[in-house]
Amino acid sequence: MLCPESLRVQAYFDDQMDAVTAADIEGHMGNCARCRALLQDLQQLRTAMRQELPYAQTPPALRARIMRALDQESVTETRQAQRQGRTNWRTGSFWAGAGSGLGVAALAATLAVLFFAPLLRTPVVDELVGAHVNSLLSTHLIDVVSTDRHTVKPWFAGHTDVSPVVADFDPQGYKLVGGRVDYLQHQRAAVVVYQHGQHVINVFSWAATERSAPNNVTRNGYHLAFWKVGDLEYCAVSDTGWDELLGLVRLLQGVSAREASE
Amino acid sequence: MDDRRRRFELQVLPHLDAAYRFARWLARSPEDADDVVQEAMLRAYRGFDALRGSDVKAWLLTIVKNCHLTALTQQQRRGTVPLPDEHDAQDEQALIATGPDPESATVSQDQERTLERLVSALPDPYREALILREIEDLDYREIAAVTNVPLGTVMSRLARARAALKKQWLQQVEGEPHAVP
Repeated sequence: MLCPESLRVQAYFDDQMDAVTAADIEGHMGNCARCRALLQDLQQLRTAMRQELPYAQTPPALRARIMRALDQESVTETRQAQRQGRTNWRTGSFWAGAGSGLGVAALAATLAVLFFAPLLRTPVVDELVGAHVNSLLSTHLIDVVSTDRHTVKPWFAGHTDVSPVVADFDPQGYKLVGGRVDYLQHQRAAVVVYQHGQHVINVFSWAATERSAPNNVTRNGYHLAFWKVGDLEYCAVSDTGWDELLGLVRLLQGVSAREASE
Repeated sequence: MDDRRRRFELQVLPHLDAAYRFARWLARSPEDADDVVQEAMLRAYRGFDALRGSDVKAWLLTIVKNCHLTALTQQQRRGTVPLPDEHDAQDEQALIATGPDPESATVSQDQERTLERLVSALPDPYREALILREIEDLDYREIAAVTNVPLGTVMSRLARARAALKKQWLQQVEGEPHAVP
């Protein structure tokens, strides 16, 4: 037999009561052995469920499938917007008509991208974008927090398979904020994290597996700039503009060049 | 990336794992769960502008639940699986207090069953409420929204689900009845 107060004991256990009601039910439990036992059961069951039930995470393949579906959805929306734009322009002047020609060109370009995009996909790009997005979404942006390259660089030595160039460019607007390890291309890749205004730029580096670096590419709105120094491959990923991203790339390449000539 | 997509990725995507877990508990197979989650994320993206407030997780899980129901209806229309029937007793508190557990018929008495299998065997409405509470940490109001039932029903479902599990599982673990007579 359960006490008629059992639902209120449950609500107390689930933390769904205000302080006054909670105090009231605590008073009741002081006098009711059945409700004390119920509370104990609820706690035991919760502990067991949280320990024993699987806490699944989305499989990477499904996550990738969903991101692709969202990409297509975004493109569809853009096309619809363009179509609406053309409809409006039809009532406009000659120059607006010329503009609608541009709209068609943009549509054609969009379709071309849609058509060719799968051919251009390389696994490393997907991996990098995934790693970049994850770093922004999770708390795993930085493993070693430091604005000092003499702290970050040695830290990589103990935690990754590579020793990338690390430098702070705060005066130039690229502030070194730390480093991180990501598993990438079957290696422990080093990630140097910079802040540029409100944007985070992740600079990935790993032991190159191919003769030449991939071409720079934009994926899901993120720009990816690739370059190679010796046997190290670098990729800077961010949602900043191309100019700003390539600005950091040039600074890093400059440091590499100086280190090589020393 | 356009601003809307960025906001979606920052606000909704962090709950993808919760959506996936919930779908796994709802759907009949991992493949069904994959489809449900993908459809739910697309619907969420399309309806993202209508989202107000901070209750993103409950909002997303509601969409997952609706997608699951749609998929079930379609399967049923194709004649593959029956819909689970809903059978909430009117006076549930009295039922818990005096009657036999309604889950006794559906939950196997097999002593070897793990907690996971016991939870899986709960009738859908009870399992849903319990998972949303214990695993996804939703409050009663949010569970009521996701499962589209009144608050009182959420409370009684939780109580019945827990009572059934306690009976099946705690007794099995401890080898003797736990409740004080």
